[in-house]
Amino acid sequence: MKKVSMKKAVGILLALLSVAVVFAGCGADTNGSTDATSGTAAAALSGDVKTGGSTSVEKVMLALIYQFQADNQQVTIGYDQNGSGDGIKNTISGLYEIGHSSRALKTDGTEDGLDATAYAIDGIAIVVHKSNTVANLTKEQVNGIYTGSITNWKEVGGADALITVVTREEGSGTRSAFAEIVGFAEADIPAGATTQASTGEVQTAVAANQNAIGYLSFSDVDTSKVNTVQYEGTAISTTALKDGSYQLKREFFLLTKSGAELSPAAQAFKDFVLSEAGQKIVSEKSLLPIK
Amino acid sequence: MTEKQSIISTRRSKLTLEAVMSAAFLLCGLAAVVSVLFISVYMVASGGPVIAKVGILKFLLGRVWNPGNGQFGILPMILSSIFATAGAILIALPTGVLVAVFLSKLAPGKLPGALRALIDLLAGIPSVVYGLLGAILLAPLIFKLQTWAGLPQSGSLLAAISVLSIMILPTIITVSETALRAVPKQYEDAALALGSTRLQCIFRVTIPAAKSGIAAGMALGVGRAVGEAMAVTMVAGNAAILPELLKPVRLLTTSIPLEWAYSSGLHREALYGIGLVLFVFIMIINAALSAILKKGGAHNA
Repeated sequence: MKKVSMKKAVGILLALLSVAVVFAGCGADTNGSTDATSGTAAAALSGDVKTGGSTSVEKVMLALIYQFQADNQQVTIGYDQNGSGDGIKNTISGLYEIGHSSRALKTDGTEDGLDATAYAIDGIAIVVHKSNTVANLTKEQVNGIYTGSITNWKEVGGADALITVVTREEGSGTRSAFAEIVGFAEADIPAGATTQASTGEVQTAVAANQNAIGYLSFSDVDTSKVNTVQYEGTAISTTALKDGSYQLKREFFLLTKSGAELSPAAQAFKDFVLSEAGQKIVSEKSLLPIK
Repeated sequence: MTEKQSIISTRRSKLTLEAVMSAAFLLCGLAAVVSVLFISVYMVASGGPVIAKVGILKFLLGRVWNPGNGQFGILPMILSSIFATAGAILIALPTGVLVAVFLSKLAPGKLPGALRALIDLLAGIPSVVYGLLGAILLAPLIFKLQTWAGLPQSGSLLAAISVLSIMILPTIITVSETALRAVPKQYEDAALALGSTRLQCIFRVTIPAAKSGIAAGMALGVGRAVGEAMAVTMVAGNAAILPELLKPVRLLTTSIPLEWAYSSGLHREALYGIGLVLFVFIMIINAALSAILKKGGAHNA
């Protein structure tokens, strides 16, 4: 009897222990940069680099940071994800040595004193259902559709059917860039517009609805699911993005204070982003490298 | 082995074991209580400030959700959640109760067992699958309805209601069936002996006698419907406008995952605020449920 109950008690203790181990496991952070093979060459570099800003650049920036930290194990690159606005503000104030922005700096004097270095181009494609016959939309037409003044496809040369406007959610960088380039305020997007939380969901929603229109990162467009529409007479393509003829695009920038000298680690990171290896990561993340 | 060992072991070791085990059980019990307390405090602490900042009336009764413009009205989401849940109950409750009656009273032979297995399966299907089926099978049908009504094709309240009603059906069936089975046989025998037909007996005697159990099933169904996010977000269109049957809607639950990723500052806090409102909703439903069960218990005793 005693033996059995002791066994039970031990069993329960073991169970509790394993739960504790699982919880402890959750706390331990394995950030993937423990590979020590490449540490020696750049051992001279060390220190913390504070950076922050745009959330839209997250995918590519995290990949760049992880690679850089793996190559330079003494360097830590911080990345506060709080939007381009904060990235710009905090780089001007000196809180960040490098700021991240997914939009160009304003020229109205409020964002002076910064150098913006573009390192990637992200095209924004306008997509419609495969069966949609509308091949081109002008800036005014896109503007009209996304502000609710154009509601039927026949007004832009398509079939007689009401347009289902698909948009990204409040706070999305793609959404703000799209609104800014096409020239409307985000608040003017009809409140009844279908809202999707990611690039993939926008694509799925448009693919499933013959009257829908949406916009998403060019790198994520799957032309077997949706058609891209020409914007101002130009079809989206890597060449059209490179030569500038397709206007629906935005650049991702590294911001630094004009005239100020960067710390060796920050400078090395900036150089890395623009290096061949860095630009390769950029294209791996389905963006257009700047070089 | 000269010493004779008692099969009930020594008093001391028994007492030690007793103390250790009761401590272990206390710990497990506390884990549940502490998590609930922690969640409550956390929700109020993180969702409260934004409601105070925006103003509770502006937050709860504001009609415009436009965080970029500093407008944080969640009335469209509250109403959408209520309408979607009410609609789902309206469909699922009568259906569920009738299925429960069939299973417990009318189904012949081995049919109830087979059906019950299928209903359990229905309860176990992940919500994302319901959402997927809703988006693939249901949406095209509703598109036709919307075109006919002169509206753009999109996700809709109707789609959300349909998906939710199927999702809460197993809960309502299972709980109702248990309640119907628990009705003392004498009640039914008496009704039948007095000359009522089988159906008269079921509708006039059995169902009324099981009503507190059925109400509990309904409350559980409401809880599940209010809290569901995944399936709804796939079919509802997610536009924060006052709910209309054939137009897109955004529920309290779906607002949070929809905007979480890119939100910051007051916007992020407002999402916590929505979470708090949802939390209060669920607490009200749970309170109603326990009141129903208490009343039912008192009635039966």
